[in-house]
Amino acid sequence: MDADSDVALDILITNVVCVFRTRCHLNLRKIALEGANVIYKRDVGKVLMKLRKPRITATIWSSGKVICTGATSEEEAKFGARRLARSLQKLGFQVIFTDFKVVNVLAVCNMPFEIRLPEFTKNNRPHASYEPELHPAVCYRLKTLRATLQIFSTGSITVTG
Amino acid sequence: EVAYSQSTGQKEQLSRCLQRGIRRVQDLCKVLQLPTVFEETAVSYLQRALRHPSFHLVSLEKKELLGGCCVFVTCRQHNWPLTMGTICSLLYAKQEMFAGVYLSLQKELELSVPALSLADLVKTHLNSFRLFQHAADVPAPFVEDKEKMVARTMQIVELASETWLVTGRHPVPIVTAAAFLSWQSLRPAARLTCTLARFCKAAGVDLPPPAHLRLRELLQILLRMASQLAWLRVFKMDKKTVVKHIGDLLQHRIFLLKNAFCLEEEEEQRAAAPGERSPGSPPAAGGAAQEEGSPSGGKRRREGGPGPLLPPCLTNPRKRLRTAALSASDLAVTGDEPISDSEIEQYLRGPEEVRAFRKAKAW
Repeated sequence: MDADSDVALDILITNVVCVFRTRCHLNLRKIALEGANVIYKRDVGKVLMKLRKPRITATIWSSGKVICTGATSEEEAKFGARRLARSLQKLGFQVIFTDFKVVNVLAVCNMPFEIRLPEFTKNNRPHASYEPELHPAVCYRLKTLRATLQIFSTGSITVTG
Repeated sequence: EVAYSQSTGQKEQLSRCLQRGIRRVQDLCKVLQLPTVFEETAVSYLQRALRHPSFHLVSLEKKELLGGCCVFVTCRQHNWPLTMGTICSLLYAKQEMFAGVYLSLQKELELSVPALSLADLVKTHLNSFRLFQHAADVPAPFVEDKEKMVARTMQIVELASETWLVTGRHPVPIVTAAAFLSWQSLRPAARLTCTLARFCKAAGVDLPPPAHLRLRELLQILLRMASQLAWLRVFKMDKKTVVKHIGDLLQHRIFLLKNAFCLEEEEEQRAAAPGERSPGSPPAAGGAAQEEGSPSGGKRRREGGPGPLLPPCLTNPRKRLRTAALSASDLAVTGDEPISDSEIEQYLRGPEEVRAFRKAKAW
């Protein structure tokens, strides 16, 4: 790729993971009984609740900790988390929406060229690590940004962090 | 005779875990017939690892694997071709757990581990084949000269590397498929009817499942190269007949691959609409990044003509590439919008529904 050529790259956020706390104990059995779109995993002590809009999945623990995944932006993640907290309030719990934090954002980007991974790894040590026996992509760690890039030979790059 | 370490109590100063780990490392080095310097390096890594806080509280099972990981890292640093599969089978360990311990070790000790050299792996892997000497369970036509087979397998593996068949893939299936093709091509009359599975059985090696796919991909590349070779154009080539000509194809490999590229580049430029630019240099076979003529066109097959040489996952995509853009309503979300009761009601069951559900679940 020429250094002068400006090719617009679309970076698409595919997943935003956030957490919040309800500051009260949650009765998982009651949530499983009275909530719709709910899966009760009794063996691991958690409940999965899915919302349609925004399309997120929440993992709810009896301690009041909730993890929401599936949103495509931070704002959407917050909106979904609030909706979920409101649903729990409607079920009768004394929920206070606190400690909301976005903990992970996953984005995907496609380069307009293929990448030869062995050569790329050789030229980018020690940040790049490539183990084809384990995973088909190069793992490139950016310590300063606390982000990890998975670089595939097709030019697809997944950024998490 | 009393060993110095016994009389001075040196071994008692080491923890039991470390003693066990050192014994495991020494046994592995003996089985793999590694030089003494490898053992010393692996033991030093093991001592560093067990002193590291990250490995203090791991399970005993993981500590058992640490020794194997240290040997594996040492071999890779000395370009000694050793695969994870071999080490896992020696340790009777699951590859997922071994991988986890290995990656932690690499990260915590900040070890630089060079990539596995395919050329060395070819030689080591072929050493385990039982086709180079006459034996009771190996038919006479199957016996082959080792040096010839190694040389031809290396060439086929290099071809695979240049044509996107190696990047991102497990190395052993590629080497197995390349060995099979090279073995067939050296005496095609007697060996064309032999399948890959039978070949592996005769050679006394395992058949890794992806080897069939790698074989198919290699044959596709060879068929495309054969179409560029002047004296083969008159013949109708298929995956059986092309094997007979592998020698010629490999001999003119660079020319044939370059020819295939140039042909497709010219056709793309001729087929491009007037006024449409297609910047980009002719792609090189061994460069670090492969550039295509246009950002989106490079990955799409042109209709009616041969496609560019791309990784197989691009020519036969199993997943649809994500191109969905955010809609206007998505962009307008701030996270602090008011939430009406009616929106929440859809996520709650009504009293009758709760009764019916409780009855069905019998809680």
